[in-house]
Amino acid sequence: MGITRDFGDKVKTRVLFGVDLEIRRGEFTSLIGASGSGKSTLLNIIGALDRPTEGKVIIDGTDLGTLDDDGLALFRNQTMGFIFQSHFLLPQFTVLENVMIPYLIYAGRATPTVKKRALDLLERVGLSHRRDYRANAISGGEQQRAAIARALINQPRMILADEPTGNLDTSNTENVFAMLREINREFKTSFIMVTHDRALAERTDRLLIMRDGQIVEDICHI
Amino acid sequence: MRKNSIRFEFSLASRFLTENRMQTFLIILGIAIGVSVMVFLSALIDGLQANLIEKTVGRSPHIVISSDENAAAEAVKSLNGNPVLVLDATRKTMRPMVEWRNITAGLTADQRIKTALPVVEGSGLIERGQISRAILLKGFDLNQADRIYNLTGSLVAGSPNLPDGAVLIGKDLAADLGVSVGEPITLELSGRDSLPVVVDGIFDLGVSAINQRWMVMDQRRAAALLGMGDRVNTIEVQVHDVLQADALAAEWSQRLPGLAVESWQESNASLLAGLRSQSSSSYTIQFFVMLAVILGVASVLAISAVQKSKQIGILKAMGIRTGSVSRVFMIQGLVLGTLGTLSGLGLGLLMSKAFIVLAKQDYTLLLKPMTTAIIVLSTIVAAVLAAYLPARQVSQIDPIEVIRNN
Repeated sequence: MGITRDFGDKVKTRVLFGVDLEIRRGEFTSLIGASGSGKSTLLNIIGALDRPTEGKVIIDGTDLGTLDDDGLALFRNQTMGFIFQSHFLLPQFTVLENVMIPYLIYAGRATPTVKKRALDLLERVGLSHRRDYRANAISGGEQQRAAIARALINQPRMILADEPTGNLDTSNTENVFAMLREINREFKTSFIMVTHDRALAERTDRLLIMRDGQIVEDICHI
Repeated sequence: MRKNSIRFEFSLASRFLTENRMQTFLIILGIAIGVSVMVFLSALIDGLQANLIEKTVGRSPHIVISSDENAAAEAVKSLNGNPVLVLDATRKTMRPMVEWRNITAGLTADQRIKTALPVVEGSGLIERGQISRAILLKGFDLNQADRIYNLTGSLVAGSPNLPDGAVLIGKDLAADLGVSVGEPITLELSGRDSLPVVVDGIFDLGVSAINQRWMVMDQRRAAALLGMGDRVNTIEVQVHDVLQADALAAEWSQRLPGLAVESWQESNASLLAGLRSQSSSSYTIQFFVMLAVILGVASVLAISAVQKSKQIGILKAMGIRTGSVSRVFMIQGLVLGTLGTLSGLGLGLLMSKAFIVLAKQDYTLLLKPMTTAIIVLSTIVAAVLAAYLPARQVSQIDPIEVIRNN
């Protein structure tokens, strides 16, 4: 609500201008805009990776402004899942270990429940046969699918995807998008997906168009 | 709030280290070399010093107490309050002490003192046939004296019993005079007629000056021959801790005014100065070695931090706490430091052994446990501290920057 984000010390650049936004549970929203429209910045703020200069971010009743850096990190870990354009898997760990990393960061050791959940997720994304491969030993499409599984391990309320299909070819893009929609339907996880692909964006529940730091259009497809 | 992240931190640290094996191996090697130099150098210096000290004071008294030449005929207090008169000597050697019994008893009662040996001494001349030699007559109780000089154990011929009229002489003197056990020689002391004495034993105390000049006799007989009455010239003291001799001497000097109490350190001032400068050079070298180790670890981890910034960015996005990431790097410092130090210790021991075998010196290397422990601990601590700056660097990585730049 009323989110403003300024950057820079010497020359204050306002990137977001009083953005007000409400996301409903289970909604699959896409965010479209030209480069420099502020969509990634907005996503980062919603995802608790960045703080607004002005305004409040309230997720599931929690005002993110009341949390310190460590609190914000924990909140992110428990409530959010992230999928980026590059997979960002850790190369020294196996696919299975990578999927569990958001859990291991805080818990240290994987319980049987969590391990089972990780294996189920790998099954769902079609990577069961790659579970013990080092992350840098599988293909690009497979790596992105592993990243999706990783985003889900802590059963997040919301998944933020920044150009998740940007590096993928057409068939992989379709597969990945289908996977995301399925997850959205089954787990009722809210999605906010930033994309350049207008056609893809039109297939989501809600489309937000941003220009020059503001939301100029809010289209519901349902 | 679950906070059991240390396990993951260790896991991440070890994966980071094993990911770039060459880098890790090189820095561990660097630390090992540094530590081995420190270990070897300490062992060398300590061995040299122990050897030098042993040579200097091994077979001589640590503290010598004698009459202070400057205290003229004043009344001074002895240990139990009775006045001690320091008499003028008729000879040029040290003036005799009267209250030596009390003083000796007092010294022996001190736990830090091993032995207190009253000594009567004077100079004289030995003749056998045409040959004459100057000697130093030393009169003491042989049992007591053994605790300093181990005469009994140093005999090469004869027996140490010293029956009346018998003397012990050194092997060089015996060789010079061509005399062997049981044979008589003539002793000449100033102001007396010449006196036959029987050589009852021949010793080798390892110091040629002593082997050439000393003639050992029973204390009472020597005192009688030198006209000393019931007095002694000096009290020779051995202490348990050789290096504490000067402190002890200072203390006893206060308690025995009118007497000169001199430690071996005072009589060997130049040797001590030499030892001290040896130590300081050794410490200086070790300091710079340690500095090099710290810089090495810091630079390797700093490079690693830059190389891993992408991964750290994503970990932060997934919710890892900043402190956690810093700890990962401190842990890397700890692991590198520990492995490097332990290998360095082994390497240092190897170098020391090799030196002993190959260099064939007459001293051995001395590796003191305390010194080793200090080297080991300070290197590990240094490695952890060296990781501090890279750890701080890492804590400042902005996940958004990392993600954006990809």
